[in-house]
Amino acid sequence: MATTTTQTPMRTGSTQPADAQQKIQKLRDLFADAPELGKKALESVIAELTSQVSEPRAKVESAGRVGARLGQRSELTMIVPLVPGGAKRLRAFLEMLDGNLSGGADKVGTLHDMRFVFLDNDTKMLFATSFDGDWDVYIDDFVTKIPDYLDLMDSAWEGWPGIRSPQAKDYLVKHQITAVGWYVANPDLTVAEITRLKRIGKAVDEFLDKIGN
Amino acid sequence: MLPVKESVSANPSTDAPTLELNEIQATVLRPRPAPYFGTHVLLRVDDDRAGRELLRRLTPHVDSAANWWSAADPWLSVAISCAGLEALGVPRASLESFPEAFRVGMAARARQLGDEGVNDPKNWDRPFGTGDVHIGLSAFSDSEEKRRRVLAIAREQYENFSGIRVLASQNFGAQPGDLNPLGYKDGIDQPAIEGSGDEPLPGRGRPIKAGEFILGYPGEAGVPLPMPQPDILGRNGTYVGLRKYQSRVGAFNRFLHANGSTEDERELLAAKLVGRWRSGAPLTLAPDVDNPALGADPQRNNDFNYANDPRGRQVPLGSHIRRMNPRDTELARLTDVNLHRLIRRGTTYGAPYDPNALSEQDDEVPRGAYFLFISAKAMATIEFLQREWINDGNFIGAGNERDPIIGRQEGDATFTIPKEPVRRRVHGIDTFNVLRGGEYLFIPSLSALRWLSELR
Repeated sequence: MATTTTQTPMRTGSTQPADAQQKIQKLRDLFADAPELGKKALESVIAELTSQVSEPRAKVESAGRVGARLGQRSELTMIVPLVPGGAKRLRAFLEMLDGNLSGGADKVGTLHDMRFVFLDNDTKMLFATSFDGDWDVYIDDFVTKIPDYLDLMDSAWEGWPGIRSPQAKDYLVKHQITAVGWYVANPDLTVAEITRLKRIGKAVDEFLDKIGN
Repeated sequence: MLPVKESVSANPSTDAPTLELNEIQATVLRPRPAPYFGTHVLLRVDDDRAGRELLRRLTPHVDSAANWWSAADPWLSVAISCAGLEALGVPRASLESFPEAFRVGMAARARQLGDEGVNDPKNWDRPFGTGDVHIGLSAFSDSEEKRRRVLAIAREQYENFSGIRVLASQNFGAQPGDLNPLGYKDGIDQPAIEGSGDEPLPGRGRPIKAGEFILGYPGEAGVPLPMPQPDILGRNGTYVGLRKYQSRVGAFNRFLHANGSTEDERELLAAKLVGRWRSGAPLTLAPDVDNPALGADPQRNNDFNYANDPRGRQVPLGSHIRRMNPRDTELARLTDVNLHRLIRRGTTYGAPYDPNALSEQDDEVPRGAYFLFISAKAMATIEFLQREWINDGNFIGAGNERDPIIGRQEGDATFTIPKEPVRRRVHGIDTFNVLRGGEYLFIPSLSALRWLSELR
């Protein structure tokens, strides 16, 4: 089990200089076969990369069973095969909402973003999302609170056992692909915390407006 | 499929119990009496045959939940860790049918539980977290004399028995005035369980499906939770998370003194931390001054919700009782509050609360509680509570604030008390209850105990 993360504070990893040199060398070796413009590009940023690799920075960790986690934030990326007609139904549902899932998705309170992309002539779907915490913490709550919305969308997925099934988690894990690279501007900010900071920011501005006159 | 009873009652207050009370251990459903007296004994099985023989001898003395509402007679309960099941000779395939968290044990789940820093298993009292705790035997009663009597029966079965080792024995009992080690009346709020024949006390909310608490019955999602196999082992059983806390009474009192200059101010702050006055009177019903008569009245002391207090001006959103049971509070994350309830049996040990204890030495005077958290998915629920509701504040929009009573505090921890016109934020919250040990145990049904004792 790759479960060696902590929630907070964020762990940082730094690379020893010798180790950094080794990594850079490995990249150089691989770029020996790269197109000329790739090689040139690498050489012009190599000094910057060397110092970046040596600097301590937040470490991307595992988000429980699969997926990557950075600070408070986890990512989930899946490619799932679709049942015949599944893409048509799902597309109609998403288009009915003008492709915007706010409203329903707001209620979840941990979702930062979601995207649905149809692939290979509508035979597969890429689903990508990022959210707060480990991925399965609230799964049981989804089962009793919003099972129909999940099954409405996920019934397009081939082999989807239904959100109420004990096999639902295994299905998700089976189709999930852990991201190798990932960037989050504010990995320490949850959706709830962003909402709180927006509220405080507004209150502070009102206060400053009053005393600044 | 599982032979699930179809007649689980929709309205238990008017119906007879539909749970198989004769099979379920008494401790699962029977609340502590007041006052209460008891002993926890932790045993190791060095020899599988001796272990099975011990269970064979003990089982006739283990009480069922038939008549769970009467605590007139003392009772014994038996719980077994995964290491214990293994030591008893339970087949591998059966062991593997238990949830992973149970199989690896509480210490190995430290990350999921947030048991880090001062609560790290490496700081625990032995034998917790060593894998040696195989059987937890508990005696409960409403008098000291009865406690001795029932414990003597238990001891006849396990003492001087080759192949069984007594690792620890700890007496517990309510302090004068039925108070916990920080000086509060506790254990007031318990979930109502459908089909148990319970007449829910006012304020307990709608009865929760029995399958959330006992294996083999439908849960809130309409289906039974996965059950250990074979059925005879799993059915009517449940799990308990045992957590031993040391109460740092000096630190708690120092915090009250640092933030309250008069007795009244300190007591109001103490009430805000918990959401109840020390008497048990909830701040919703007694917002400004304590009302001991209300605190003592089980018909009234839990009969409230937060409809008129959405922002926590009476009961702070971050207070202990509002975190542990948010009732109708609007949460920042999509949550079914009925999925995260536990049957709680706090068992207090050591010196009583001392309001004048202020020194650091007072923090280490042995006193605290062995908490028993019982549920058919106790591991998942305890881990959810530890991460989401105890050691975090995002679910109530309180950033990284933690539970002021049982949270593990780091750095300059704060506690927010909503007020008009501006909130008060109290700094310097310390870890008032330090974790000193814990185990995940299985509470088998009486048939399962017999099945275990007959393994070959």
